Amino acid sequence: MKTIIFIIIVLAAGALAGLVHGTANLFLVEPYLDVAIGIENQNLFSSGQEDDTLEFWVEYERYREWQKGGQVFAGVILGTSIGALFGIIFALSRNSLPGNNNIKKALILAGIMWLTIYLVPFLKYPANPPTVGEADTVVLRSILYLSFIAISGFAALAFFKLSKKFKNQKKLLALFGYAIFMAMVFVAMPENPDEITAPMDLVNGFRIMSILGVSAYWTALGIILGILWNRFKPNKEVPSFN
Amino acid sequence: MSQSRQINLSKEGVPIIAIAALAIIFGIGLFVVGFDQGHIFSIAFGEQAFEDLYIHELTHDMRHAAGFPCH
Repeated sequence: MKTIIFIIIVLAAGALAGLVHGTANLFLVEPYLDVAIGIENQNLFSSGQEDDTLEFWVEYERYREWQKGGQVFAGVILGTSIGALFGIIFALSRNSLPGNNNIKKALILAGIMWLTIYLVPFLKYPANPPTVGEADTVVLRSILYLSFIAISGFAALAFFKLSKKFKNQKKLLALFGYAIFMAMVFVAMPENPDEITAPMDLVNGFRIMSILGVSAYWTALGIILGILWNRFKPNKEVPSFN
Repeated sequence: MSQSRQINLSKEGVPIIAIAALAIIFGIGLFVVGFDQGHIFSIAFGEQAFEDLYIHELTHDMRHAAGFPCH
């Protein structure tokens, strides 16, 4: 394998897909974040922690513009990071993935990873806008969320390995096994300890946009890595002539 | 008469060095965007970094949007 080419196309695919994610979120998620942070501001005014002044709003607007730039920047960092994991798994599993070309294979793997390390954990611990979530519980919530992702990811891997021991329709048993196992984990894991006090239409709208943004990332990641893999073929050695 | 033969070597093995490099990038990137509460900048700026939360604030919107727990 051409190691450097492999690493470069994996990181490039992740960064580009992350750019798609961050940019999409400017339109999908930011309007909801602005409303949620507006509620936080009103709480600050009513509690006397801040004064509703022109200076406050000027500073606030400047700060939010900086954070929206950070949305795209963080998208690239997170995209590169998740893309690195995706690249490792794609390289190791490419021959086992269904599909007659690398774009299809990458999209199928992206779909599997979207389901197992994003959507299934999301169903237990859904994304929340600002105003939902206590600072005191952030460490606990982080541990719970990361644990659920890890359990779901490793369970998917284990049941995939198990499926290779079966033939034809019996392979579906592994899928059922994963579903049953994750259902048990879903029930066993503690709930998010924070109470939701924000309006539910805001929370639900934010969650839908969050799913759309992350889904755009995984779709872009599969397509871009598949295209780059086809173009640069990092799994092939440079031809040697004797 | 000399002959030229082309041999295409197909080697599917993924080098350990590539896996290690990508795994490190994965871990660092995930921590920066998803979980840092001042830890990284505290290496240079000490306790003040936990007050400023610079990376947390910069990645704040993506942290919420990607589903990571936040304040």
